[in-house]
Amino acid sequence: MIEFKNVSKTYSTGTEAVNNANFKIDKGEFVFLVGSSGSGKSTLIKLILKEEEPTKGNIIINGKDTTFLKQNRIPYLRRSMGVVFQDFRLLPDRTVYDNVAFAMYIVKATPRHIRRQVPMLLSLVGLSGKAKVYPDELSGGEQQRVALARALVNNPSMIIADEPTGNLDPDTAWEIMTLLNEINMRGTTVVVATHAKDIVDKMNKRVIEIKSGNIVRDEKGGYSSEV
Amino acid sequence: MKFNVIGYLISEGFKNVMKNKKSTFSCLGVMCATMLMFGIFFAIAQNINHIVKIVESEQGMQVFVDVNMPEEQIVQVEETLRNIQVNGTNAINKIRRVSKQEAYDTVKEQLKDHPDAMEAVEVEMFKVSFVINLTDLSYTHDVVSQAEQIDGVVKVTNSENTITTLMSLANGIKMFTLVILTVLIIVSLFIISNTIKLSVHARRKEISIMKYVGATNNFIRAPFAVEGIVIGIASGVISILIICLGYNALANKFLSSSIAQKIQTISLLSFGEMVNLIIIVYILLGVGIGIIGSAISMRKYLDV
Repeated sequence: MIEFKNVSKTYSTGTEAVNNANFKIDKGEFVFLVGSSGSGKSTLIKLILKEEEPTKGNIIINGKDTTFLKQNRIPYLRRSMGVVFQDFRLLPDRTVYDNVAFAMYIVKATPRHIRRQVPMLLSLVGLSGKAKVYPDELSGGEQQRVALARALVNNPSMIIADEPTGNLDPDTAWEIMTLLNEINMRGTTVVVATHAKDIVDKMNKRVIEIKSGNIVRDEKGGYSSEV
Repeated sequence: MKFNVIGYLISEGFKNVMKNKKSTFSCLGVMCATMLMFGIFFAIAQNINHIVKIVESEQGMQVFVDVNMPEEQIVQVEETLRNIQVNGTNAINKIRRVSKQEAYDTVKEQLKDHPDAMEAVEVEMFKVSFVINLTDLSYTHDVVSQAEQIDGVVKVTNSENTITTLMSLANGIKMFTLVILTVLIIVSLFIISNTIKLSVHARRKEISIMKYVGATNNFIRAPFAVEGIVIGIASGVISILIICLGYNALANKFLSSSIAQKIQTISLLSFGEMVNLIIIVYILLGVGIGIIGSAISMRKYLDV
């Protein structure tokens, strides 16, 4: 599903963000990407999204090497993954329904498909009653649920979440994580970059730890190997 | 399905127009100025061309031959005149002989209020002449000098001075229009791309979301191009209205003025005769500036 082969990324400023990363995430896996700020976590996410190009190595997504993907094919690559951010990134001037439908407009879905799909996703994330509400009338947790619905609405094969619980209180964070887990149960690959030690420990999933650009651990377990 | 997408993109474009009212207005202003400038100079140039044609057809060139020239030689002169060439191309469009009788009649008609003046005049005293229409006015000078060389030709009259003055005026106005227009088009491009930059900036969050969800660059660009085109076409419509009203008012004023009354031969083109070309140019300007302007302003925001 996602495979990194000897991937290095050095920014033009000289910062070595990722150094010779090798890992493979299979279909249907749930993986935590952990590490302190500035460790290279975000760069890894950006590399997966092809927002940044690797300086060395190959990134294979869904069996295709994306290293030499043409610029105009990138949108189609991104349609195979749903993205969730720490700051939700909802459009404040659109209702919850329209925020989710927006993602479908973009991939040129039929109105009929949109009318069927959006309510289904809103009920999946537990926001059926809030379709006509604007984002600023929602709590942080609810906003992140809308973002999740939007990420899922085009049936991507994987969800990439960059610090999805960073702005949420622990209880709400746990709710979102549980939701991500449910989504994973339905067969979607989930990759979560996070700081949330408690949650990672509690969920006991595969953890890839990155420290100053190097992958130092890749195993099932808690946030950090030290006990 | 396709229709739905296009409708979506267009409605987004219109929303942009309404959102940034201030910059939309400044944009409209500059585009209108560009188009009005073009319209004014275009109208003036067209009318000068029109007047040149009138002057040419009214006055033309007239070649007079010797009073006592025998008929065979007159025919010969006509043939020589007919075959005058400038730079290897035929210079003569039409040639018409004015007989002695015709010349006499014309003078008689002109002097009909003074019948006694004609008493001493006889038909035989008039010269045979040829009224010549040229294929191109710029040949006037060459044709005159060639005609003067022909044996038996005694006088060549023409409106060369009037015509060259008018033509250099028309050329000058054309050049001036071209320069002003180029400057104005560059200014409008700059302003419209700035306006669109504002609305791109206002929607950069939306654009980044669109990119993460997998929108193609053209899909992201389309509403902004629509915005540019809408502004372009709106200024085109406004300019057409202003030009139409202004032109008709000014043309009427000019035609009823004392100068125009004296030169009765002068007429102006009606607005309807020019409007098609103006509309085509306005549409090209509006759509072109809209598309190019939005493309310029989008470049920076699209590379991720």
